[in-house]
Amino acid sequence: MQYVADMKAAQTAGAAIDIDRVSHVYAGPEGGVQALSDVSMKVGAGRFIVIVGPSGCGKTSLLMMMAGLRDHTEGRIHVHGAPIPKPDPERVGVIFQEASLFPWLTTFDNIEFPLSLRGMSREERRRRSEPMLSLVGLTGFGERYPHELSGGMKQRVSIARGLVQDPPVLLMDEPFAALDEQTRMTMGHELLRIWSTTNKTVVFITHSLTEAVYLADEVYVMSPRPGRMIDHIMVDLPRPRTYEMMATDTFGRLRDRIWQQIRKSH
Amino acid sequence: MRRPDPKIVRWGILIALLVAWELVPMTGLLPELFLPRLSKTLTVLWIDLDKYWAALLVTLYEVVLAMVIACGLGIVAGATIGGIAVLRDLLLPVFSSLYAVPIVILYPIFTAWFGIGSQSKVMFAGIYGFFPVMLSTAAGIRTIDPQFLLAARSMGATVTQQITKVIIPASLPTVFGGLRLGGALAIIGVIVAEMLTASAGIGYLVTLNRTILDSPRVFAGILCILVLSVAYDIIARRLERRMVVWQSAGRRQQQASPRPIAQGAPAPAAA
Repeated sequence: MQYVADMKAAQTAGAAIDIDRVSHVYAGPEGGVQALSDVSMKVGAGRFIVIVGPSGCGKTSLLMMMAGLRDHTEGRIHVHGAPIPKPDPERVGVIFQEASLFPWLTTFDNIEFPLSLRGMSREERRRRSEPMLSLVGLTGFGERYPHELSGGMKQRVSIARGLVQDPPVLLMDEPFAALDEQTRMTMGHELLRIWSTTNKTVVFITHSLTEAVYLADEVYVMSPRPGRMIDHIMVDLPRPRTYEMMATDTFGRLRDRIWQQIRKSH
Repeated sequence: MRRPDPKIVRWGILIALLVAWELVPMTGLLPELFLPRLSKTLTVLWIDLDKYWAALLVTLYEVVLAMVIACGLGIVAGATIGGIAVLRDLLLPVFSSLYAVPIVILYPIFTAWFGIGSQSKVMFAGIYGFFPVMLSTAAGIRTIDPQFLLAARSMGATVTQQITKVIIPASLPTVFGGLRLGGALAIIGVIVAEMLTASAGIGYLVTLNRTILDSPRVFAGILCILVLSVAYDIIARRLERRMVVWQSAGRRQQQASPRPIAQGAPAPAAA
């Protein structure tokens, strides 16, 4: 099957993200709390990975570790062949649940924020942010402030900000969770369009099973705390994905399998 | 019915008050000792203009210095206390309680330490205005959405960049609220101090003329203070609007959004 060939290709090329037996214990009020237990995953370059799991299973922690924003106690995390002890925006872009745009900056300035941290000149910044703005479909909104944008538009800006440094890996922590159902569907579709033109490796966290199957090449299912990987599902639906696919038997079967795994783990 | 423009209503109220100020004493409703006519007040103000002007300059000088102390110390102390958890837990409750103390009882001590000249007014009013600035700066820093800092870190912001590019702009609206209040308190502090023990300033003129029952001159002083306070508020508001564009813009938008409930209709129960 196609995905097997893809996986083989990814492995020979070296995985974009290589997580090897990672465990994490953090200090709680009553001693150590095991957050993650022996988590391993290998993500091929350019793949779209979705992680689902119950609340508090440690999936966000895992994502923060891949971003270099949090430590882990055991195991190894490699992103593009090297550990990531601290955030590296040129390797990894992060998109958060709430838009986390800075309300005091315009759309342009928000997208250019990571560039301004590196002291890039205004012209150069604008030269880079303009194509990002048009990629996410917001041409003409560069001078608006976040409060003048809708929830979906804010997440588009967030995506543009994550892409502006052109990192090979994009980590997304429930980016559309705060959006209404229709906007969420549209944004998922938009994300796939953007992803298909940029060749990024994406790791995407969600609670929505439909969103998971619709977006992913591969879905990882995590157990409740301590988080373990309990299933790894290949989504062999053709691309580009269409809304009609949601009505197919394959789609329903995949969604059902994820649901059964989550239910069993409780 | 269309609601009248609030701007016109505001001016209308102001003019009505001024007219009442003239008419009420003229008709004998209130004796002129209690409320001298507006025209008489303005006349004595005009006659003694250089005296009032000199007093106003003294007051203004003290107010500006007091504001510098209140804002400068307040921001530095607020940022330190708000930013460092240990200090916050230790000192913030103390300062919050101190804020409730009527510091004016300490003013005699200030005159003993700094004399009855400008220095004691500046110190007293500076400390009076210090508290709201410090407390709101601490609050502004404490209440920053941690998501902002996480996002900045993920984009590679250093600690210095987190402070200059996230913490400062994010806390600016709250800090500005405190600055406005602190500035107003600095004015109050200076005037009160001048009224208690002083040898110059508008507050001093008011007290002096009160003891000799020269009502028009008392009211002339009050008028000066009123103009000073209102001018301060207008300037502070303008400054705030310019500095915190995104926030005032948000407020404007909220006001502009149509109200779903008709005027006068009972508000729906909170869902």
